[in-house]
Amino acid sequence: MRMSWLPQGHLEAFLNLLEPYGTVHGPTVLENGVTALAPITSPDDLELKYRHTLIPPKKYLLPFRDPILTLNDGCYRPAPPVAPNLVLFGLHRCDLQAISYLDRVFLGDDPDPNYAGRRERLTLVGLSCEPDDFCYCDPAQPAAVDLFLDQAENGFLVTPHSPRGEKIMSEGTGLFLSSDHLPSLLVPLAPPPTPQDPELRFSDNPLWEEYARICLSCGACSACCPTCYCFDVREYPSLDHGGNRLREWDNCLFKKHGEVAGGDFRRSRLDRLRYRFLHKYCGFSPLQGVTSCVGCGRCAKACPVGIDLRNVLEVTYRGAEPATTRDQATGTGEVS
Amino acid sequence: MKRKPKLAIAGLTACSGCQLTFLNCEREIPTILDRFQVSFFPLGESSGGDDERFDAALIEGAVSTAQDLATLFALRRASRLLIAFGTCALFGGVAAMNNQLCDRAELFRSVYGREPEKDLIPPAPFTNFVAVDFSITGCPPEKTDLVALLGSLLAGTLPPTTCYPVCMECRSRENSCLLLDRDELCLGPIIQGGCNARCPATGIVCEGCRGPVSQANVAQEMELLLERGFDREDIRRRMSRFTPGWNYEQRD
Repeated sequence: MRMSWLPQGHLEAFLNLLEPYGTVHGPTVLENGVTALAPITSPDDLELKYRHTLIPPKKYLLPFRDPILTLNDGCYRPAPPVAPNLVLFGLHRCDLQAISYLDRVFLGDDPDPNYAGRRERLTLVGLSCEPDDFCYCDPAQPAAVDLFLDQAENGFLVTPHSPRGEKIMSEGTGLFLSSDHLPSLLVPLAPPPTPQDPELRFSDNPLWEEYARICLSCGACSACCPTCYCFDVREYPSLDHGGNRLREWDNCLFKKHGEVAGGDFRRSRLDRLRYRFLHKYCGFSPLQGVTSCVGCGRCAKACPVGIDLRNVLEVTYRGAEPATTRDQATGTGEVS
Repeated sequence: MKRKPKLAIAGLTACSGCQLTFLNCEREIPTILDRFQVSFFPLGESSGGDDERFDAALIEGAVSTAQDLATLFALRRASRLLIAFGTCALFGGVAAMNNQLCDRAELFRSVYGREPEKDLIPPAPFTNFVAVDFSITGCPPEKTDLVALLGSLLAGTLPPTTCYPVCMECRSRENSCLLLDRDELCLGPIIQGGCNARCPATGIVCEGCRGPVSQANVAQEMELLLERGFDREDIRRRMSRFTPGWNYEQRD
């Protein structure tokens, strides 16, 4: 099989090739030391060997605060998103799988106009990665991607995965050489979790109690999760008799998430942790039975107290000893 | 034309910073004055009549004198809605930070050199004395929260509340985590957000000026900070700077 080879030296020309499809954003290290997806102006800005970004690409599709309606003269009108064409360069497979999952949630039977408006202006260029201690993934899961780059020494093997990807490659014929190399296959360090039995959230695994005892409810796990999409809807009347309705990231670790008029569905921290497990590993209808964990490892890495929900699965399914809270010295030191 | 809602803006024992937040809304003040009647605002030199009634009273400060209490009761009686405006009104704030550490009478003697008046009250939040209809936290409060309240009052409602910790907005802004990455004494996980992580975004730890978030796991934050090598007394001093009444054993 003949493959398309992009020599390292052609990367700048390749980025130029992407420009007509939108502003190019890619993995870079911000001034504060945090690895993030941000605008890229030259290959020197790129951090090609990054582990993962602190905040996943969902920030482009579901911004932290997103106006959805404006109120003027007593009339509500949709607030269409300001969505410029955008190329996300260098997304790892887990993040591409996460976008594929979000597509199922937001572009299903009743597409969300704000999500759809942003999604159709997005071009996705994937990049192979090296797994770390926190991540695990299933390369076979569906991923949303136009072009995928497998990193090798001195260059990349490029494969198109969509008509747009084919088009980009046809526009840059001079950039690509023919190659006999085959893309290296990912070897995840841990097997990915399969969809779980929802009843598992009621298991008497002692780890549940321990995690509920130490969970700070800071919300980092969910904020950093590429598939956590819960939002709260709020309306703010303005001084001129108008107003704005917006949605903002919500988080099932917060008390207010389960509160309704007259009650609270999830009163204890344990209930809230179990709810997160239920959504992540068991799925809700209509995505019941679909695990939305793509194995990026961000939650375990961002947790100040070392909670790793995978341990709940491992203990129950493999009969292993309950894992202890991770030593605070490990894994929390880096920001990348 | 619809009657303009009447506002009272007042302060008890405090620095007047919350009332200044109102004056700092330069862009909105013309509209606010067009929509509301600011009937009582001693700091801004409006004086209302004795029989004035208010649609809403925004009051800052802790209750620490008999006069404070009288003002609070009078405004409570005169107002349909009483709004605790700022951290002191909600939690006692800076004035209350040493409530647990020293005796008020002794403090009074050492500062004023005479016997304390008999009506001395340890600085306390409003809810110790009156019903509070809504609160805006912060030292000082965010302008946006004040404007949101005023907009909502015009619409005959109250604004939605935020109930997430500082970490939520801090992570969303892709800040470096001062607690985990820089080993600093940051209170972000247990403090009410809504400030858009103002301090951590500039590299300054969260000192807790907005008070506890509703789901705070106080005992675990304490444990985590101790594990990370901070001194228990230093942690307590930091936590009680704006909120004296922490329950350090609270997990649920």
